[in-house]
Amino acid sequence: MHKFSYSNVKREMEVYGYDSVVKSHCRMCHGGCGVYVYVKDGKAVKIAGDPDCPINHGTVCSKGIASIQLAYHPDRLTYPVRRVGAKGSGKWERISWDEALDTISEKILDYKKSFGAESIVMGYGTGRENEGVIYRFANLLGTPNVLTAGHFCYGPRIATTIITCGSNPIVDYENHPKCIMVWGNNLVISNPDCYKGEPFSVSLDAGAKLIAVDPRLTRIAARADIWLQLRPGSDTALALGMLNVIVNEKLYDRQFVENHVHGWEPFVERVNEYPLEKVEKITWVSKEKIRNAARLFATTKPAAIQWGVAIEQQINCADNNRALLALMGITGNIDAKGGQVLFSAPKIRNVSQFGAHKMLPREQAAKRLGGDRFRLAGNFAIINPKCVWDAILEEKPYPVKMLFFISSNPLMTRANARAVYQALQKVDFMVVSDFFLTPTAQLADIVLPAATWLEMDYIGDFWKRHGYILPRRKVIQVGECRSDHEMLNDLAHRVGQGQYWWDTFEGGLDYILEPMGITWKDFKKMDYIRGEVKYQKYKEKGFSTPTGKFELYSTLLEKWGYDPLPCFREPPESPYSTPELYKEYPYILITGRRLPGFFHTENRQVPWLRELHRDPVVEIHPETAKREGIEEGDWVVIESPRGKVRQRAKFFPGMDQRIISAEHAWWFPEKKDPGHGWDESNINILTNNSYDNCDPAMGATHVRTLLCKIYRE
Amino acid sequence: MQKYALIIDNERCWGCKTCEVACKQENGKPNGVKLIRVKEDGFRAGGNGLDFVFEVNVCRHCEEPACMEACPEEAIVKREDGIVILHEERCSGCQLCIDACPYDAISLDPQSGVAQKCNLCYQRVDSGLLPACADNVCLAHCIYFGGPEEIREKIRKGI
Repeated sequence: MHKFSYSNVKREMEVYGYDSVVKSHCRMCHGGCGVYVYVKDGKAVKIAGDPDCPINHGTVCSKGIASIQLAYHPDRLTYPVRRVGAKGSGKWERISWDEALDTISEKILDYKKSFGAESIVMGYGTGRENEGVIYRFANLLGTPNVLTAGHFCYGPRIATTIITCGSNPIVDYENHPKCIMVWGNNLVISNPDCYKGEPFSVSLDAGAKLIAVDPRLTRIAARADIWLQLRPGSDTALALGMLNVIVNEKLYDRQFVENHVHGWEPFVERVNEYPLEKVEKITWVSKEKIRNAARLFATTKPAAIQWGVAIEQQINCADNNRALLALMGITGNIDAKGGQVLFSAPKIRNVSQFGAHKMLPREQAAKRLGGDRFRLAGNFAIINPKCVWDAILEEKPYPVKMLFFISSNPLMTRANARAVYQALQKVDFMVVSDFFLTPTAQLADIVLPAATWLEMDYIGDFWKRHGYILPRRKVIQVGECRSDHEMLNDLAHRVGQGQYWWDTFEGGLDYILEPMGITWKDFKKMDYIRGEVKYQKYKEKGFSTPTGKFELYSTLLEKWGYDPLPCFREPPESPYSTPELYKEYPYILITGRRLPGFFHTENRQVPWLRELHRDPVVEIHPETAKREGIEEGDWVVIESPRGKVRQRAKFFPGMDQRIISAEHAWWFPEKKDPGHGWDESNINILTNNSYDNCDPAMGATHVRTLLCKIYRE
Repeated sequence: MQKYALIIDNERCWGCKTCEVACKQENGKPNGVKLIRVKEDGFRAGGNGLDFVFEVNVCRHCEEPACMEACPEEAIVKREDGIVILHEERCSGCQLCIDACPYDAISLDPQSGVAQKCNLCYQRVDSGLLPACADNVCLAHCIYFGGPEEIREKIRKGI
């Protein structure tokens, strides 16, 4: 372990006269860092990292520090409100919690009686660690419909890893991989699910070789030994090309392949369909670079792949993941020390058990929207958003009458935002729980004031796969805000689920911890609990898959009617799949690069964070800008066949001239109109949500690459 | 006499801007005034063609500060420990220091009309604490505070 310098907590208290300090667990993103919250006169006044936390080793990020500005923000919703004008009119009146929850429970019971529980769709976005309670509420209510980002974010990682090797293999940075391949991920900015950038950075400083796969020259790409600057959306082809090298040069782990994989022969046949000549044409990456990267990755032990959401928001979502899993597997890095480990959680009730999936009656599960169409997603209780919008707008296969979004802003974050708007306008009744009156909340009937992480007790990271749980301790109370857990616990009693819930949600925390023989009050005194760490568990127990093997050839995908081996599909809109369209829209638009300070739609009203990034920025190559008559800083129009939005041009020479890179999730809390300019710069005005633009198994909407034109406003 | 320096290893900076916000939390400067700033225009020629690096800009606490020479109010002083302090209460807002600084590390607070720069969190340092940006916030661990020799040694050892 490195020794890092940091200030003494006791001295900090003395010098600034703080009254107390609380160790807690941040949730401004999915990183989940241990923090100190300093308190003075009953208010949280300073956030610092906890040097003893194994996740972040005392480092923090801009979002974590700015949590206090979020919690005490003057625009924050601090009591429940009911809409009194037309949808989107911005006219609200204050109501009590009792009135709000009584109204919601009456509606829930009415819709359930008249249209079936499936007519009520619950939802969350990336999830503020409320996933477990939302699924629990929905399953006990009898609705199979929980609309999350899970179709194209993290859900695919869980689904594809479970069917391939039983769990999500997490990079073992603690034991310093000797080679790290970062695939479409900027974890030093985004701190994605199960990861924080710091341990990666330390491993790199410790001498790991670095391969970066990214269409843009990120700093990770700049520091890489090999940068594979691929054509956006061609990831599966690139991975299959690397597998081709590893298989044909016999660089794979023979012992692992002989004893622990399922489907080697058909897998070899498949990768042989991707010779490097072909892969070079598809990916725009030279044969030599692909070969060198494959050799470096396969011959450096231990090695690991750092992946994330970018490869999942594509039509090849499941196959992107499965091809990368194959790379991890056949090189012998799965469950290897310093490779990618199938970490065991502490012996608690896990998020799946807590989510009460087994309580959902079979006949209700069979009604899951899109369950027949996207069968990998359906088997993991995940649905595609368009299925919900269609059910509202066309009442097929049955009407959806109520939406209940908890920490979700789908108007900004789901493809084809105009269709989302229509559905939210039409739906009979909508409830939102959030920090602010977001553009989505402005279309709701009732909005509930949600607590931030500073305002709740919870078992942090209990849904993750890195094997740790950490206590999140309540520090402050803001207005009448309540955690989503407390809110649903209360609502559950009002809709007749009381027997499965608790007097207060502390009972729920005790229930999660019960198998360990401890209560929340015990856990609250601890720093963290880690599950047992063991490597290569498959040697004794096999993999938790139908064949007990690492399934290169997926028996489950085969059973559900899909290609059991990964293959490359050309993106639905591209120079090659739609050459005619490419003449009119001559650039490949990539969307959603990560920005310091923001977490999707969040934080644009937080002063310290908005100061980092005032305007939505579209990156354009200087040569392209010259050709289009665009100057640095110009407001430009980005147009796709679906619509147009405006962002500000920034010159960025670190990508192919044929690529434009736009930001996502932009709205303007400072704008006075109730919609806060939701459709001005929202990149999802441009994206396509049609079913043939989605991964056939997972339902992931292909939002990361499309065709566009760009011109000065 | 203990000498202090703040050294940032730009080659290891990831551009996350946590240092900027840590500075805000400590020093509470208004919107638009950044005492430490991560610059994003660092494209340069490299081994494989194009390279890119973040550059963190902050007061260098120069040996012979040009800003100090330029200030007619004697609002800028260099302490024996090396920290260069701009005393805002003595600043008249003439902006000569801003023109004199070769590093673009001083800015004018439009609200108060006085110049602002990094004072190396001397209020913390004098109390035995680390400057906010150097207090282990950085995920790259690339912001060093301490004696110049000691820092060189740390960088040499790679910690």
